[in-house]
Amino acid sequence: MQPDPWLATAFWSSLTIAFYLLAKRLYRRWPRWWLMPLALTPALLIAVVLAIHASYRDYIHGAGWLLALLGPATVAFAVPIYEQRALIRREWPVLALGMVAGTLTAVGTSWMLATALGLDGTLRLSLLPRSISTPFAMQVSQDIGGIPDLTAVFVVLTGVLGAILGEVLLSWLPVRSALARGALFAIGAHGAGTARATQLGREEGSIAGLLMVLVGLLNVLAATLIAALLHS
Amino acid sequence: MTPVHAASIRLRHALHHSRTGQMALLAAFWIAGEAVVRLTGLPLPGGIVGLVLLLGLLATHRISLCSLRKGASWFLAEMLLFFVPAVLAVLNYPQMLGLLGLKILAVILGGTVSVMTVTAMTVELAGRWRMRHAT
Repeated sequence: MQPDPWLATAFWSSLTIAFYLLAKRLYRRWPRWWLMPLALTPALLIAVVLAIHASYRDYIHGAGWLLALLGPATVAFAVPIYEQRALIRREWPVLALGMVAGTLTAVGTSWMLATALGLDGTLRLSLLPRSISTPFAMQVSQDIGGIPDLTAVFVVLTGVLGAILGEVLLSWLPVRSALARGALFAIGAHGAGTARATQLGREEGSIAGLLMVLVGLLNVLAATLIAALLHS
Repeated sequence: MTPVHAASIRLRHALHHSRTGQMALLAAFWIAGEAVVRLTGLPLPGGIVGLVLLLGLLATHRISLCSLRKGASWFLAEMLLFFVPAVLAVLNYPQMLGLLGLKILAVILGGTVSVMTVTAMTVELAGRWRMRHAT
């Protein structure tokens, strides 16, 4: 039986939005990591998909349009970035240093941990670009010979876990500046982290927004160069 | 004042108060970015190109923050919702539920903790060093 596409869209979209609003409410009341909207909402949705024997295809046909809103959301970062232009102009050497250190750590630790656990080949390559936001990461994955689809899943897992881990790490690390707090989220957990940073404060959010974009660009440039060198 | 000029002023005024209008404006920049990517074959997401376009217009004072602030705040506050459908892609990889999934999770956890610690400490310490050596 083929359900009506309009009905399916209405069903999956309103279910997604309803679970998201519910998770937001619960998290505001009880701020536990497993009640975070980015963890609880997909968990509830997966439970529904499995319970009614639907598939990922059914779901994404119905609610995939929400992903497209990441486009205008990316454009929206122009506002906080522009508002904080003085801070960014003053602190750019520090931010650039953090970006390079973070990127080298991301690639280095992914490679070493994957090797240590016996993961190799395209799987290991697909794990390398997971700290940058999805469209950049899929591009890099393609360039270095990974599987872009699989990378997209790793990127999202990194975002969900990173948004949670970031908060825990902030309570342990002696990190006080808005600059360092924003950088932690942007370079560790791309868009999902940046969304968390936006909730910490305006400065953290704008630093994170800027760094998320720049670190993505840096990675795409580096991967293009590496791919060109490998194939020459 | 020409009628066109007057209409443009009235439009701007309306935009300063309408969140929906501002959201539509942001979406228009994204669509413009996508069009640029399609025409030039740039290896970049359309949203990023739209962001750069908008920053250019803000920097040259062709567009004011008042025409965008409300719409941008909404998009940034609800951004996590737009990531949710992407997470459901794990349903396509049932083999990730076993030992392989645990290994991958370990790589992601270990990697993310390292990246966050190194990045935050680098920025924090470099910031303090600069502060101490500022003249």
